[in-house]
Amino acid sequence: MYAVSVSHIAKSFGAIQAIADVSFDVGCGEIFGLLGPNGAGKTTTIRIVLDIFKPDQGQVCVLGGPMTEQNKDRIGYMPEERGLYQDIPLERCLLYLASLKGVPDAKARRRLQEYLERFDLAAHKGKKVKDLSKGMQQKAQIINTILHHPDLIVVDEPFAALDPVNTQLVKDLMCELRGQGVTILMSTHQMHQVEELCDRILLIDGGRDVLYGDLDQVRRRYSGRAVLVRAAGELPAVPGATRVSPNPGPSAKVGNGAVKLALSEGTMPQSVLWSLLSQGVEVEKFEIAVPTLDEIFIQVVAPLLPGRDPQSTALAPYASDSRSAPSRIGNT
Amino acid sequence: MSKLWRIARHEYRRNVFRRSFILALLSVPLMLVLNVGVGLIMASREVNNAPVGYVDHSGLLAEPIPAPVTGSTNPIALFPFESEAAARTALEAGEIQAYFVVAAHYYSTRDVDLFYVEPPGNNATRQFYDFIQINLLAGQPSIGADAARRAALLGDKVTVRSVDGSRHVPSGGPTFGTIMPLLISSAFLFLLLINSGYLMQAVVDEKENRTMEVIVTSASPTQVIGGKVLGVVAISFTQLAVWTLAAILAIAIAHRLGVDWFQDLSLDWGTVLATAALAIPTYVTACALMAAAGATVTSAQESQAAGTPFVVLHLAPFYLAWAIVMTPNAILPTILSFLPFTALLTVTLRNIFTAVPAWQVAVGIVVQTVFAVGAIWLAGHAFRLGMLRYGQRLRLRDMLRVRSQ
Repeated sequence: MYAVSVSHIAKSFGAIQAIADVSFDVGCGEIFGLLGPNGAGKTTTIRIVLDIFKPDQGQVCVLGGPMTEQNKDRIGYMPEERGLYQDIPLERCLLYLASLKGVPDAKARRRLQEYLERFDLAAHKGKKVKDLSKGMQQKAQIINTILHHPDLIVVDEPFAALDPVNTQLVKDLMCELRGQGVTILMSTHQMHQVEELCDRILLIDGGRDVLYGDLDQVRRRYSGRAVLVRAAGELPAVPGATRVSPNPGPSAKVGNGAVKLALSEGTMPQSVLWSLLSQGVEVEKFEIAVPTLDEIFIQVVAPLLPGRDPQSTALAPYASDSRSAPSRIGNT
Repeated sequence: MSKLWRIARHEYRRNVFRRSFILALLSVPLMLVLNVGVGLIMASREVNNAPVGYVDHSGLLAEPIPAPVTGSTNPIALFPFESEAAARTALEAGEIQAYFVVAAHYYSTRDVDLFYVEPPGNNATRQFYDFIQINLLAGQPSIGADAARRAALLGDKVTVRSVDGSRHVPSGGPTFGTIMPLLISSAFLFLLLINSGYLMQAVVDEKENRTMEVIVTSASPTQVIGGKVLGVVAISFTQLAVWTLAAILAIAIAHRLGVDWFQDLSLDWGTVLATAALAIPTYVTACALMAAAGATVTSAQESQAAGTPFVVLHLAPFYLAWAIVMTPNAILPTILSFLPFTALLTVTLRNIFTAVPAWQVAVGIVVQTVFAVGAIWLAGHAFRLGMLRYGQRLRLRDMLRVRSQ
């Protein structure tokens, strides 16, 4: 059973089509990344999943069926536009919001105390929310999202405006929750966070899904046309391989001293390694160059931007994708 | 406890335990006590029960019929004097507080002179003129002394009764019972204008502080808007209860102290019920429309401007009060008795001066009820459409579109 199952949803607001056709499933206990450029339809998708908006077409199943009042109590939501009641004390605000999730008062108080201590807010629980710093309000918002121990957490840009300490705090919490079997649906722009946290992703653009699947498989799919080589001394020329970064030269090394070689059509990584070894090169490191999610994102999304020539923006060493044929990777 | 009640309780606690609310709540009874107190003090300062003298040169009071005494007024002894000199001596001796001299040509000039050292009490002056009036009445051939004597014993009040006998107005002006429905509806409108503002504020606040998006993933829009309306209704009841208690206390004190207007406390329950039947849908309409307005605007500042037209519409009968009072059965007051916003105040105003036909009241109630149902629909629809529109106003065209988000 999926925690969330979205099937061909579409949504328009007047003449504006926010979502044209989006489908995906979120497995139980995984962290799922919903990615896309600004205006891609991520927030609208999330709002449809949460039953804030009704889709014009398509179906959504959450926690085993259509959204019900009971299901709402099993979902924690942290919207991109953070908000808490400003003019009441923090403790009262969080207890009220927990009560709307059906948590009995005594239980909510006990849990809240634990979380306030963990998030270093216990000393501030009597203060009005508006008197707390922005960082404290962010943490309070996180507490509000998890206080009722939801089975599904939906977070829209969870790391927006967080300092590094709080970013790490949220990341640790997300991993901990995943360990407890909680499903997390996360929308974000921050690709390195997705790489660190997510099990699977959906990239949407222009209201359509353009890339979907297991994160490792996605990256592997977009790799394979380049290798990273680190060797003692200068690398000799290798048939079928072209140095793409850094530019050729005596100090031509990438980040960790490796050189990236793009492979021509028909050239296999094994043949490159064999060629190097046969030339007596002392190879310290040899690996398939796996693109970062940032690179994949740009590669997939940039050709779809208006006025851009898809051919000119596709990164040569990687396989390209097309909007008309959304990629679905992995067992979903 | 259902989410609807939790939201209602939250709205209630959020407003009722504010210092500003408590001050506003207590200010009305305090104002009432202050007004009644000042009025009683002023009235007591104008009362002097010492005897009054008179010198009658006209013969009007040769065989006087005693002055009529009504209500709480204490009878004042009226001493006749043979001459002005004798009256003056009594005044200077402090035996009387003042004396009146009825001119010899009183029948043609109505001249009466008043002499005093300190201005006499209003009650004394009023009683002497009543004394003159009743004796003038006795001199009228068509009435005669016996009828005047009976009138003096019963009091000089003339009661005007409506044809159907359901209402009456004494010559002294509308009684407490007649005015009460107007006071109730005015207090009700006052409450409504304050509290429906709370509702609009509550919706706008949650949009402004972005709590709305979290709330609607915990409760349905119907629960949210229903809980808010219930919370505001509870706030209104709190205010109404406190103010009613204060009013009952003030009325009881005034009754006990013998203030004329509070002696006859009988109410026309038919009018009171009609007022309530008009007030309830009017209240619901106002709350719903304020919630709808709150959902359409983007900031608290804008919400105040959005609420102004409703305030003006509700108070329109006050601005047109002269026309309503002078011709209570004319076309304008009749139409205003049917229209949303104006019906409540117009009907209660008209009721003081005429017997409003039952069918007009019934039509008014039906129109208000239909309008209330429509307003609730509009509020729910506007709330669904506008709750997540940040920095973007909801247009009427969007609101009236039937399809929901």
